[in-house]
Amino acid sequence: MPLLRFLQTPQPDADLTRTYDAIVVGSGAAGGMAAHVLTSKGLEVLMLEAGKKLDLDRELKSMEWPYEHPRRGQMPPGHHALTLNEYTIRQPPYGAGQPYDKVYNYIQGGNGADYSRNFMVDEKDHPYTGTRYAWVRARTLGGKTTIWGRLALRLSDYDFKARRRDGYGEDWPISYKDIAPYYDRVDRYLGISGVAEHLPHLPDSIFQRPTRLTAAEATLRAKMAAMGRTVTPYRAGVTTDGLEHNKYRSRCFGRGACARRPGGCDIHAVFDSPTGLIYPAQDTGRLSLRTNAVVREVLVDERTGKASGVAFLDAETGRAYEARARVVVLAASTLESARIMLLSKSQAHPNGIGNSSGHVGHNFCEHIMGPGVRGLVKDRIGAPRTIDDGRPGGFYVPRFRNLKERRTDFIRGYGFEGSAGNSMFAASDQPGFGADYKKRVRDLSGAYIEMGGFGEVLARYENYVALDPNTTDRWGIPVLRFHYQFGDNEKKMCEDMANTAQEMFEAAGFEIVGVSRTPLTEGWSIHELGTARMGSDRRTSVLNQFQQSHDVKNLFVVDGSSHVSASCQNPTWTIMALAWRSCDYLAEEFRRGRL
Amino acid sequence: MADGDRRDPRLDRRDVLKIAAASAAITSTLGVRRVLSAGQAASPRFFTTSEYSLVDELAEEIIPTDSHSPGARAARVAAYIDGELADAWTAEERNEWRDGLAAIDDLSRRTSGKTFLEATPAERVALLTAIASKEASPESAAEKFFVTLKSRVAFAYYTSEIGIHREMEYQGNVYLQEFVGYDVRTEK
Repeated sequence: MPLLRFLQTPQPDADLTRTYDAIVVGSGAAGGMAAHVLTSKGLEVLMLEAGKKLDLDRELKSMEWPYEHPRRGQMPPGHHALTLNEYTIRQPPYGAGQPYDKVYNYIQGGNGADYSRNFMVDEKDHPYTGTRYAWVRARTLGGKTTIWGRLALRLSDYDFKARRRDGYGEDWPISYKDIAPYYDRVDRYLGISGVAEHLPHLPDSIFQRPTRLTAAEATLRAKMAAMGRTVTPYRAGVTTDGLEHNKYRSRCFGRGACARRPGGCDIHAVFDSPTGLIYPAQDTGRLSLRTNAVVREVLVDERTGKASGVAFLDAETGRAYEARARVVVLAASTLESARIMLLSKSQAHPNGIGNSSGHVGHNFCEHIMGPGVRGLVKDRIGAPRTIDDGRPGGFYVPRFRNLKERRTDFIRGYGFEGSAGNSMFAASDQPGFGADYKKRVRDLSGAYIEMGGFGEVLARYENYVALDPNTTDRWGIPVLRFHYQFGDNEKKMCEDMANTAQEMFEAAGFEIVGVSRTPLTEGWSIHELGTARMGSDRRTSVLNQFQQSHDVKNLFVVDGSSHVSASCQNPTWTIMALAWRSCDYLAEEFRRGRL
Repeated sequence: MADGDRRDPRLDRRDVLKIAAASAAITSTLGVRRVLSAGQAASPRFFTTSEYSLVDELAEEIIPTDSHSPGARAARVAAYIDGELADAWTAEERNEWRDGLAAIDDLSRRTSGKTFLEATPAERVALLTAIASKEASPESAAEKFFVTLKSRVAFAYYTSEIGIHREMEYQGNVYLQEFVGYDVRTEK
C-alpha cells in the first residue's frame, strides 16, 4: 500500500441533467489551464477526457531500477512500438496488418517504455490515413503532460510578428506585450527553472533555481559565448524551489528519472496537468470530471447557431451521451480539436462548426528535427564518475539565425537541445568485444556530448488534415486523413542545422563522432500546431485573438491548434499562457452575459 | 564536480522518507536495492541446453569478468535473453537466434573443425575477432547475427545490477539536496 497523500475534497459527479457554465474537452496543458482559470473565476465546469484516470504515482515508478522490472522496462509480449524505419517505409494506418496485439507510437520504444504505456493510445483502435506522420497521442487524464519533455520556453515578437520581418505567412493577432503578463502567471503558478539570458528573441521567465551544467556543457557555454551564441541550462517546467500554493507537487530532488524514461515524475516536480491544474481546480468544488468520455461533436442550437453542448461516447461501453453547457471550450489537442470541429456538421455549420473560412485543419505546422551532432570530450575519457543526470534536462541553444542578418537560403530559425555526461544507460555502442570493449564502454560513456535541432516548419495552407470518408476508429468515429509534408525551406534549414551543430562542437574542441543530417518523420517533434489559427481576418482564420470562434461566440479552442506559426520554441508554455488569457476574457464576457 | 564542491550531495534516508510521505512516492524503491539471486537458470525456457551454454559462453567472451567487475555470466545475461525470446511475439526473432547460433557453430567447424564450445580459447577469440571485424557492415549469416547478439548482450548486461553498479559505478537515481555541476549563476 502506498502512503496516503492528501485527501481531496469530495468531487461532484458529472451530472448530465444540468446545464454547465462551460464544458472543457480535454485535460492536457490547455484543458487543465481552462479548468483552473474558469473555476477560479466562479464558473461551474464539466471536464470531459477521452482517456482513463490513472494513478500517476503508481504508473510512473520514477526510481525503479531497470533490473527490478521483469523486462528491464520493455513492454510485455504482443506490444510493439513503431520504429523510425516503419514510419519511413510504411503508410498509415500503422496498426493495420501488424502481427502484434497492441501497436504504439515511437515514443514507446525508448528506455522504460513500459512506464508510460498505459497513457498512450493503441494505433489499432486509433487509426489515421494519408501521408506519413508519427502522431503521438496520450489518452489519459493529463494527456501528454504526463510524459512531456519539460522544455518551457517563451515566444517573442520575432515569432508573433515574423511576417513583418520576412513577408511570409500571417502575423499573430497579439504581440508579446499582450501575453507577457500571462507567461508570468504561468511561471508563478506552475514553477519553471532556468537562468535569465536577456535575449530579445527568447524572453526570460520568472525563474526558480536553475539546474546545473556538466563540465563539457560549461566548456561549450564558454566557447559559444565567444561566438555570440548562448548555451543556457535547460529551461524546465519543473519546480526546483517548490510551490507553497500546491499541495500535490514536490520540489525537484535531482533524481534524474525524467531524462531516463519518456518523461513523468512520481513526485510531480515536473508540471503535469492533473497535479498542477486539475486537482486544485477540483478543490474549488466547481469542477466535475468525466473520464472515458470520447467527444464526437459539438452540439448546436439550430435557432441561434450557437454551441449548446457536446455529444460523447463512453469509451468502455460505447454508449452515447450528451452534455449541455453555455460555453464549449475545445482543448483536445491540435489535431483532435480540428477533428471535432470538422465532425460537428449542422444546418447552421455545414462545413463543421467554426469553419466558415474553410481553414479548419489547414495551416498545420510543427517543428522539424533530426539533424544534430555527437561529440567526444577528450578530457572526460576515463574520468571518475559524477552525477550528471540528476536534472530535468541538459542545455538549450536559442535561435541565432535570421535575427540580425538575413540568410538567402531559408527564413526563420531553429534551436538546439542537448546534454553531456554520465547517465544510467552505458554507451554500449562501441566496436569490438572482450576486455577491450568493456573498458572502452566504461571509459567513454561519460565523455559524450550530443545535441539536436528543432526548427520552425512554415505554416502552409496546403498542409492540412481532413476527415477520411471511409475509415473510422474503434468507436465508429471518422478519422483524420493527413496531407502534410515538409517543404524546401525546412530542408534547407536542416542542412544548416547539421553544419552549425558540427561547427559549434569543433569550436568547443570536441571530437566529432557523428553528424546526423536527415530529418526525422513528420510528426516526430510532437509539436503539432496551427489547425484552427487565430487572426483578425475571419476569412483566413478560425479564431480571434482570444481563441474564440469568429462564427460561434460561445465556442473557444484553447490548444495548439490556435497558433499562427510554429516558431522554433517548444509550445507548451505558450499554450498555457494563451489559454489563461483567453479564459480570463471568456469569464468576463460570460459574467456580462455576452456569450 | 565542476565547481570543486566535495560535500555529499545526497539527502539522508530520513529526509527522503519525509519527502516520500509527503508526496506518496512509492517507498519500496528508496535507494534500497533488491539483491537478485545469481546462479544458473533453472532450465532454459526457449534455448536447448546446448544453445544456452553457447549463448552463455558467447556473452562472457563479449563482456568478460575482469579485474574491474564481474562479466556477463555473473550478470546472468543468457537467462535474461532466454526469457526474452521465450516471450517474443513473433517466430522471426526466435528463428534469428536459433539460426544465428547454428551459423556461429558452422563457421567454427569450418575454421577449427570443432563447435564453438569445443574450440580452444585462442580459436574462439580468433573466430570472434574475424566476425567482429565486419560488425559495421556485416555480410555473412554469422556476421549479421553477431550484431544482434552483441546488442542484446550489452543491453542485458548494462541494465543489470552488476552492470549498472559494479561495472559502470553509476552514481545517480538518488535524492539530492542540490543539483551537482556547474552553476551558471556564479559567473560574473
